[in-house]
Amino acid sequence: MTAVTRTTAASRPRPTVRPPGLTLLRLLRLELRHNAMAWLLPVAIGLFWLTTYRKDMAMPPLWNLRATGLQLGAVLDFAVPVTGAAAWMGSREARRRVTDLVTVTARPRWARLLASWAATTIWAMVGYLGCTAVLYGVTAHQASWGGPLWWPAAVGAACLPAFSALGFVLGTFLPGRFTAPLAAIAAFFVVALSTELIRGSQSYWNISPIVTGPWDLGPQAGVATFYPYLPDLSIAQVMFLAGLTVALLGALALPAGSGGRALRTAAAGLTGAGLLAAGTAVWLAGTGTMDAHGMIGIPALHDAASDQPLRFTPVCSHTAIPVCLNPAFAGYLSVMANALAPLLSQLAGLPGAPTRIVQDSVIYQQGAGNSVTIRPRNPADGDSSPVSHLVLPDQTQGQAMTASQLASTVITTYGLELVARVTGDGPGASPAQNAVAAALMRAVSVGGVLVTQAPSNQCPPVSEPQAGPVRQGEQGHRSGPGTVCASQSQGVARGTPAAAAAERFAARPASVRHAWLVRHLAALRAGQITLAQLP
Amino acid sequence: MNVEITGLTRRFGSVTAVAGVDLRTGQGVFGLLGPNGAGKTSLLRMMATAMAPSAGSLRLLGHDPGSYGPRREIRRRLGYLPQNPGYYPGFTVTEYVEYFALLKELPSARIRVAVATAIDRVELGDRRKSRLRTLSGGMLRRVGIAQAIVNEPELLLLDEPTAGLDPQQRVAFRALLRDLGQRATVVVSTHLVEDVAAACAEVALMDRGAMVFHGTPDALAARGDGQDPGDTPIERGYSAVLAQARS
Repeated sequence: MTAVTRTTAASRPRPTVRPPGLTLLRLLRLELRHNAMAWLLPVAIGLFWLTTYRKDMAMPPLWNLRATGLQLGAVLDFAVPVTGAAAWMGSREARRRVTDLVTVTARPRWARLLASWAATTIWAMVGYLGCTAVLYGVTAHQASWGGPLWWPAAVGAACLPAFSALGFVLGTFLPGRFTAPLAAIAAFFVVALSTELIRGSQSYWNISPIVTGPWDLGPQAGVATFYPYLPDLSIAQVMFLAGLTVALLGALALPAGSGGRALRTAAAGLTGAGLLAAGTAVWLAGTGTMDAHGMIGIPALHDAASDQPLRFTPVCSHTAIPVCLNPAFAGYLSVMANALAPLLSQLAGLPGAPTRIVQDSVIYQQGAGNSVTIRPRNPADGDSSPVSHLVLPDQTQGQAMTASQLASTVITTYGLELVARVTGDGPGASPAQNAVAAALMRAVSVGGVLVTQAPSNQCPPVSEPQAGPVRQGEQGHRSGPGTVCASQSQGVARGTPAAAAAERFAARPASVRHAWLVRHLAALRAGQITLAQLP
Repeated sequence: MNVEITGLTRRFGSVTAVAGVDLRTGQGVFGLLGPNGAGKTSLLRMMATAMAPSAGSLRLLGHDPGSYGPRREIRRRLGYLPQNPGYYPGFTVTEYVEYFALLKELPSARIRVAVATAIDRVELGDRRKSRLRTLSGGMLRRVGIAQAIVNEPELLLLDEPTAGLDPQQRVAFRALLRDLGQRATVVVSTHLVEDVAAACAEVALMDRGAMVFHGTPDALAARGDGQDPGDTPIERGYSAVLAQARS
């Protein structure tokens, strides 16, 4: 049947040039106004405050600790909500049954979907950058030295478009009201469990965006303080996330009706390129190895300049023997100086006593599986060396200490080491040497310490075999050199003649002890002094 | 001709929703009548480029919608109101119409005026800042009409546009249809024959996927023999044509 009516519609003049920029901005503005992520932003910020900000602020104001803590926490805080919000937005057309209405509009489907995705990502990015700015701002106010580490922040930022794209694609292709919550839950578990399969620093799973370095090492005060932050792994992670983003967004344009042939061909190319980039990044991550400074280096991405130590002017105490720390640890100086000052005043000027104590970096070495060995960089200071190298407990411990914990640990580890260096105490020492060492330690108010200890340079390095991944906050019982040695040291048992001699010597005024040591130290070190000869 | 259809067919599995329809139409209001399941909505969706035909040829506004470029050009000049249009409840009336103006690629400079005009034409000017979730069903229908006409389409396809409108609004809507028909091809699918009688210059009747009548409303009314059910001549004509087609 053919039906014919009247005339053809008169052709009206229509604009031929349609600059897309302004209209796309208006579309984006509309999407920003009605985006689910705007509603979820308080949730993400609340999560950030609860799980990242508070934890980060509990750590010492060292840029490396704060930055790695930021990456570790903020990725989950923002990636999970943005995945859910993006899935919700991606499924919007189907849920609201406007598919027919929007399908018959001139603008390509891809452009329409990208506007919605972009709005979701922008909201998440605004929240993330705001939180990062606050955290870094507070750190800048507190930190004594150094500057923001941008790579960990960049990895967190790169996560948002990637997870947003992931959620959006899920929402678009599997629309439904349960898609969003399921996508968010899946994102959480994928990220949280992605580290479970990490075995050592040469693991493809290090590509996970919450990995900032050797996974079992966790945030380390000694990393990226003496040597520059190594961005190799971060670069690979950003490359992976960017590739994933491009691939997912390209996939949005692959279905028929998303646009013209040229656009779909370009989208297919983008998807392929994105997958290639992401795959390459995973491969690169698998070639990484932990370097001596505790960071993962990737040969193909490595810049040799990063291996040069950072230049800094140490901050020194005004004690009898100056204690000099890396300026990043300036906040530790007064605690250190106060703790060591009584001891240093007795040892200053004695043969074998250093003229200067300098903070040293440590060396990290990947062991079998996930084990990491941490050892002093200069373990064997000679007795005649004018400089003694000090490794702060925080450089080897997994968790930051309070001031009193730090002071106590320094005295019982480094203090003992220093005393041993002067008195010659250690394995094979005479009872008099043991007693003098114990008395000196007693005199510096380490209550009840009557245990001498071998110098750390005679101790084996710390080995930390771990059965499984350990997360930040769960690794507080790692041993430093001193702690390990303590179990092997000799003691001055109570009730023995050596203990009595130590008590007697400790009871003398500091000036008397110092004067006696000046006169008799050589003989004491030679083992020619008996307990009875101690004052 | 703005619409040139030859042998248009659409099948859903074993069901043929539209069976070899031929239609050529130009400027004016064209009524599409038929019982439930007659194929009106399927025909309109194909004309709206929302769905591809299984067979036959379709030419809209001088272009073949089979390829992307011409289809995009058609869509720029098309207005469509589906039978069950969805809404974004959080959008205001203005935002919703503006959203479709942007999707229809209206030049940025024209959007503000075009949106205001479309809203005024459906008499929602006083509710332009209201969120859609606060509107009644009839108002939502008018918002749907506003988005359909915001780009001043040369081909306007309306599927049950008066459903949910009160009598006063229907009268106003018919006037709007007549006005739009002065400059464009308006195809209105409806069950309400009085709408066709009041607004359409041409009418077609579909049954079981086929077009069983095409002519003027007066010609349709004339087909009623007085014994067929219906309160008005055109309803009697509608019933008579259907009965004849099924006999």
